[in-house]
Amino acid sequence: MLGEGILKGLAETAKNFVGSFVSAERLTTVQYPEQRIAPIEATRDFPFLVYDGADWEAGMRCVACQICEKECPPKCIYIVKSIDKKPDALGKPQFYPARFDIDISVCMSCQICVEVCPFEAIKMDTEFELSRTDRFGGLLFDREELAKSNEHYHKIHPTEAAQVDARLAGEKAKSDAKAKGAALAAAAKAAAAAKPAVSTENAAAKPEGAEIKP
Amino acid sequence: MVDEGLKIELGKQGVFVTTIEELYNWGRRSSIWPMQFGLACCAIEMIATTMARYDIARFGAEVFRPSPRQADMMIISGTVTKRMAPQVVRLYNQMAEPKYVIAMGACAISGGPFKQGYNVLKGIDRYIPVDVHIPGCPPRPEALLQAFMTLQKKIDGQHLTGEGRPRHLDAEAQGEFPVPVPGEHDLEPASNPGVWTAPVVIR
Repeated sequence: MLGEGILKGLAETAKNFVGSFVSAERLTTVQYPEQRIAPIEATRDFPFLVYDGADWEAGMRCVACQICEKECPPKCIYIVKSIDKKPDALGKPQFYPARFDIDISVCMSCQICVEVCPFEAIKMDTEFELSRTDRFGGLLFDREELAKSNEHYHKIHPTEAAQVDARLAGEKAKSDAKAKGAALAAAAKAAAAAKPAVSTENAAAKPEGAEIKP
Repeated sequence: MVDEGLKIELGKQGVFVTTIEELYNWGRRSSIWPMQFGLACCAIEMIATTMARYDIARFGAEVFRPSPRQADMMIISGTVTKRMAPQVVRLYNQMAEPKYVIAMGACAISGGPFKQGYNVLKGIDRYIPVDVHIPGCPPRPEALLQAFMTLQKKIDGQHLTGEGRPRHLDAEAQGEFPVPVPGEHDLEPASNPGVWTAPVVIR
C-alpha cells in the first residue's frame, strides 16, 4: 500500500512521543526538595574537621600544624595555634586550633587540604545546601560549624573512613607497643642501673654487714 | 491580619483569604525569569539545572530571556573579570524592577581561586546588590535550586511598606548603579560604597 512505510514511521514517532510522558524509566526529573539523587561515594563539597568521641572540642584530631593553611591554593583557611596543649587520641600532648576558619565562599573543593593532612583531621563533606543571603556572616565557617563526628564521616564516605580508621588503629597500636617497649626498656635499664648501685651499696655496706653478720 | 489557623479553617470551607502583600509576593516569586547569561564553568551547571533532570521550570523560572529588559533575575554564573564587570553592571542597570541577583560559585562571590590575581573582580557584590550567594566550585544543580528557593523565601518575607521593603517600592533607594570604568591600575571606582563596605574583621 502506498504510504505504509510513512505511517509505520509516524506510529513509531508517536509511540516515542507519548512514551516520554508515561513510561517510568523515561521520566528523568528528580523532584529535588522531596527526592534527591543519592550521592556517589566520591562526592565532595567543602572540608570539615573530624572529631572522635562525643565532645567536638576535646576529640578534635587537628593539631594546628597549619600545613593545610599553607597548601590551600585559594588561601581560604585561617588557623590560630593554641598556646597550651591538650592530649590527642594517642595521649600525647598536642597543640589544638584556637581558631580554625574556612571561608567557603573562596574554597574551590580541590581536596588538597585533605591530601596533605598527616593527622586525618580534615575531610571532605557532601553538604551542598549552603546558600546564604549574607556573604561575610554566613559563609565564613568557624571550627564549631566545621567540626563533625567520625560517625558522620563513616556515613558519607564509608570505604575511605574504614581505611582511615584501620590506619589510625595501626598507628595507635604501634605507638602503644613502642611506649610499652620503651617502658620495659626503661624498667630494665632502671633495674640494670639499680643493680650495680645495689651491689656497690652492698659492697659498701659489706664491711659493716660482714662485721655484723657472723 | 488574618490569623493563620483561621485562614486554613476558612480554606476548608471554600473561602480564600489573602492580603495584597501575599498576593503581590506570590506573583513576584512564582515567575522569576532569569537572564540568559553565563560567564564561566558555573554556567554549565546552570544549564544542567534548566534541563529535564533538575528542571527549574518546576519553580517557574525556565524562561531564560535573551534581553535584560524582560528578565527578573541575573544569575552571575562564573568568574567576573575586571573587563567583564562594567558589562555586568550595565546589564543589571538595564533590567526592569523588581530584579534579583544570585551570585553562583566561588568566583562570583569572592573571586574564588583567582582572588589573588590582578584581573578578576573579588566579588560582584562590590558593584551590585546580591540577594543569594551559593558557595561551591561549581555548585551542584541542586544547590542552585536551593538558592532559588532561598530567594523565593526572601521575597515571601518582604513587607511592602516600612523598613526592608523591596527596592522598587522605596523612592529613596538607589535605582541605577554606577558602571565602573577601567582606570590606570584597577576599575574606578574600586567598589560602590552604596552596596558594599569592606567587612570589619574581628580577630
